[in-house]
Amino acid sequence: MQNPYVPIPVVVDKIITEVDTKDIKTFRLAFLNKEDEEKFKYIPGQFAELSVFGKGESPIGIASSPTQKGYIEFTVQKAGLVTSFLHEMEEGTHMGVRGPLGNSWPIEFLEGKNIVVVGGGFAFTTLRSLINYMIHEDNRKRFGNITVVYGARNPGLLIYKDELKEWEKRTDLNLNVTVDKGDETWKGREGFVPAVCKEVAPSSDNAVAVICGPPIMIRFTLPVFFDLNFSKENILTSLEMRMKCGIGKCGRCNVGHKYVCKDGPVFSLAELDKLTKEY
Amino acid sequence: MEKRLIKKDVLAGIVGKLAGDVNLFAPVKDEDNVLFELVKDGTTALGSYKNTKNAPKAFFFPRSETLMRYTRKEKGMEFSGLGEGVSGRTVLFGVRPCDARSFAILDLLFDQDKYKDPYYIEKRANTIVVAFACVKPQYSTCFCTSVGGSPTSTEGVDVMLTDLGDAYLAEFFTDKGADLLKYFGDTTADVAAEKKKDEIAEAAAKAITKTIPAGEIKPWLDANFEHPFWDTIHKKCLACGTCTFMCPTCHCFDIQDEVKAADGRRMRNWDSCMFPLFTKETSGHNPRTSQKERWRQRFMHKFRYYVDMFGPIACVGCGRCVMSCPVNIDIRKIAEDISKL
Repeated sequence: MQNPYVPIPVVVDKIITEVDTKDIKTFRLAFLNKEDEEKFKYIPGQFAELSVFGKGESPIGIASSPTQKGYIEFTVQKAGLVTSFLHEMEEGTHMGVRGPLGNSWPIEFLEGKNIVVVGGGFAFTTLRSLINYMIHEDNRKRFGNITVVYGARNPGLLIYKDELKEWEKRTDLNLNVTVDKGDETWKGREGFVPAVCKEVAPSSDNAVAVICGPPIMIRFTLPVFFDLNFSKENILTSLEMRMKCGIGKCGRCNVGHKYVCKDGPVFSLAELDKLTKEY
Repeated sequence: MEKRLIKKDVLAGIVGKLAGDVNLFAPVKDEDNVLFELVKDGTTALGSYKNTKNAPKAFFFPRSETLMRYTRKEKGMEFSGLGEGVSGRTVLFGVRPCDARSFAILDLLFDQDKYKDPYYIEKRANTIVVAFACVKPQYSTCFCTSVGGSPTSTEGVDVMLTDLGDAYLAEFFTDKGADLLKYFGDTTADVAAEKKKDEIAEAAAKAITKTIPAGEIKPWLDANFEHPFWDTIHKKCLACGTCTFMCPTCHCFDIQDEVKAADGRRMRNWDSCMFPLFTKETSGHNPRTSQKERWRQRFMHKFRYYVDMFGPIACVGCGRCVMSCPVNIDIRKIAEDISKL
């Protein structure tokens, strides 16, 4: 019997500080055993428990795409016991990963459709995984138009800056990066995510919106998509809850009879409407 | 299915013999309480008792359990082995049918198709459950018949003993249980004994006069996550968590790390939905902000969510929470009050 509580050993291969405030870093983890890498088959939208013996575990969305081979990436904000420890780590440290866990962005459902990706702040991690997956040369033709709206409070808080520059150059991706307030060097767009969505006005025709961000952004963005005639079945988001086991047993991340760790984290608005409002 | 009839005075001998061969846990008097304890020389396993103070779920899902060990290496703490595991066959002798049913209910959670909990499953597989049928209700707070059980329910039972008055009937339901056949002599049960057992079962079920509308309230629960009624039950709750720790089906746990010098272990400990920290996130956000939401969660988990997920109600009607709540919150009354709304 496979033991789902035992973490897979990994080495911290690379640490990238993402933001000016230095409290968001991306950790590139490489598997210490080759066979673990082959077994760790994931889909964008899934998460894993980052496991530090002596400290504990923290459930974090997988920020890399399965099209990126040889490693997995997690973008982590320094907040609690485990994540603070991660932020103090050096490259070369050994740690653990448990996963992949949870459902995923529904790739088959998204295929053949126009995809609108909306992200705010640092809740862009599994969206980045999805975008990199969709624009990979093996997959790009399986999806229609891809529109991305991504915003942060200021230019220094945008994550994946180098990648955003690369995406900017692509003709098969409509990228709209915005900041609430720019600085003297910022030449891009200024404005809140909901307003930019309204301006970009993606068509709801054969389209799905995938939205992640702080609650305040979600609250003001959803009406924009309702006005654009997106149905609740075609608006997807990902929930966060306090988790421990990640496999639907320890009993703390349930929303009604659904466990966010195992039945989620991805839900459509139509699904969320059927659940109790407790998240 | 094998059945044996044994004289009443030989049972103590069977217990003694079993205790020599396996890890035998049986109800033992411990000051004013009856607890499951390891039977060894000098221990008297009770032949007559109501029920144990604590639910026997702890044999499969201990209060605190080492999941794995690790040790400090040059590049960080590294895995060094699993927890203790099981050693030697274990027999739980004298489990009441309500508590045995809790094992069957917990199996649904810990032994699912996709994610199996090896710690729980290993202990379950290694343990033979010998139950003692309740020929009469043990407490005025018993309500097993309202939640899908009965005083003679055999769910979760490997071997069932029924007191027929002049003898015990032993029924062996599983292969695991049949391993104990050799201890029970070779007098097979006759038709008269069978008939007597059926009469006892019927009379025992009837003697449980306390019923609650546990199944009937499900449609109300489905429709009323938001309802003023939820403001009325939690106010005296102290959030002590006793109800969840006494409960045979409550199974929420926390995972914690513990390090001493170069070695450490990761363990899981019972946790409780009654505690404010249970769902509190690092950001400070807590989806269950007050004891109202926590009580609603506990009640809904038992009578609505578990039913939706697995079928049975996650309550076996043992009455422990009713007896041990320091402020007399009574889950039976909550169900009754809901049925009148």
